[in-house]
Amino acid sequence: MIARMGVVSLMILTVALLQTAVFPHLTISGFRPDVLLLLVMAFAMRDGPIVGLRVGFAAGLLADLLMDFSAVGITALVFLGVGYIVGLSRPYLSDESISAPLVLSGLTGFIGTAGVAILSALLGEQALSLQLIAQASAVVALYNVLLSPIVVGTVTRIVDRFPAQGLLAAP
Amino acid sequence: MYGRRRARVLLAVLVLISLVLITIDFRSPQGEGPLDRGRELLTSVLGPLQDGLGSLVRPIGDVFTDVGDLFSLRDENDQLRARIDQLESRTRSIGDLERENEELRELLGMRERSGLDVVVAQTVAFGPSNFEWTITIDVGSQNGVERDMAVVNGDGLVGRVIQVTPTAARVLLAIDPNFSAAVRLTRTGAVGALDGRGGGLMRLETLNPEAHLVRGDEVVTAAYSNGVFPAGIPVGSIDTIGETTSVLTREVGVRPFVDFSRLDHVMVVLHRPLAELPEIVIDPSIPIRPPDPLPSPTPSESPSPGTSPSPGATA
Repeated sequence: MIARMGVVSLMILTVALLQTAVFPHLTISGFRPDVLLLLVMAFAMRDGPIVGLRVGFAAGLLADLLMDFSAVGITALVFLGVGYIVGLSRPYLSDESISAPLVLSGLTGFIGTAGVAILSALLGEQALSLQLIAQASAVVALYNVLLSPIVVGTVTRIVDRFPAQGLLAAP
Repeated sequence: MYGRRRARVLLAVLVLISLVLITIDFRSPQGEGPLDRGRELLTSVLGPLQDGLGSLVRPIGDVFTDVGDLFSLRDENDQLRARIDQLESRTRSIGDLERENEELRELLGMRERSGLDVVVAQTVAFGPSNFEWTITIDVGSQNGVERDMAVVNGDGLVGRVIQVTPTAARVLLAIDPNFSAAVRLTRTGAVGALDGRGGGLMRLETLNPEAHLVRGDEVVTAAYSNGVFPAGIPVGSIDTIGETTSVLTREVGVRPFVDFSRLDHVMVVLHRPLAELPEIVIDPSIPIRPPDPLPSPTPSESPSPGTSPSPGATA
């Protein structure tokens, strides 16, 4: 149990480091993927809504603290929503499905990015244009689809060694 | 069903926590709230890790961008050649201008611009979001860096320091929508405000909406707004000029000189923003004498050289 928590925290931290130090050098038309969001999706797909909620909240909060202007809590809120909904869809997806992670990563990439941006804009913290939000969300969706086989594969492989136990396991 | 209910309770709890956090952060002043301490802590903890990781992957990233650039190399080559010709013709007159500039500067007793103290820094990380254009650099308050200092590189203005820890600092890039700077056009001296638009062109609004603008006009920082930036840092050149609208604003796009996708080494200008001017105290002991009334020529008699020296009078 403790080992699992340590591993999950380490994975979130590693991905946050990749997100800030590596992917800014590998942008597609100026935008980088949202690997933290992919991580949340991968956990929720494998372990259900409770794990999705927890990982989503933790990853989102870390991303929030790494940002400077958008209010702390916005990304946490959006990510935990993504984790919960993807987790709920888990019983309807086959474990061997290849298309499910691809489709879900595109959807979550678009909705997650646009959701954070729109919430920040509604709180009046940023002068974001609708065009910029649409562009960024589309590119993130595409980039996340490309990365999803790697991230989902890695998460599944690591988490298989540290399975969720008892009440944490999916309903 | 027990698990599903548990998930709902957890959902409600976490949503509530998020909303509370958003409220706290939204209501606290920028850069001073309790959650900003958390941000600073995270910057100082993650800074070294990002530094290490960044130095490992930077060469790989460079190759990636170089491959992407292969196609535009020929165009760029032609452009650079044209630019060299243009610059060479301009260099000839610079020596004379420099000497004249120096003389005038001495006369005015102005601060020497090239004498700005700088600290060289390395970019260690970028912000995690696609909607915030920030970088983390590896110098902090130990190196004399303070909030609101300007950050430049060889090409021009990079941004402004918004968060400082002892060993790292975060810089708001000039293309971020939250960034704004007072600027001046080098050709005409017209002043205006420049805002980031999130990548691409920046938006310039000149004080005089009818100011004469030409594509290619160079934009430099001006030392207004309590001197956040030292004057004369190159920012970019005018790229697009829109029509003046009925509310007397027009979209002027400025292409920044700095390539924000390849920030590696930058310099922090150790120039403190000027303190506000002290209030003027009027000493009541000094009597204020009204100025002498001007002798007004009466309309009846014509002005003669002897009585009142009027502007039109001949010597």
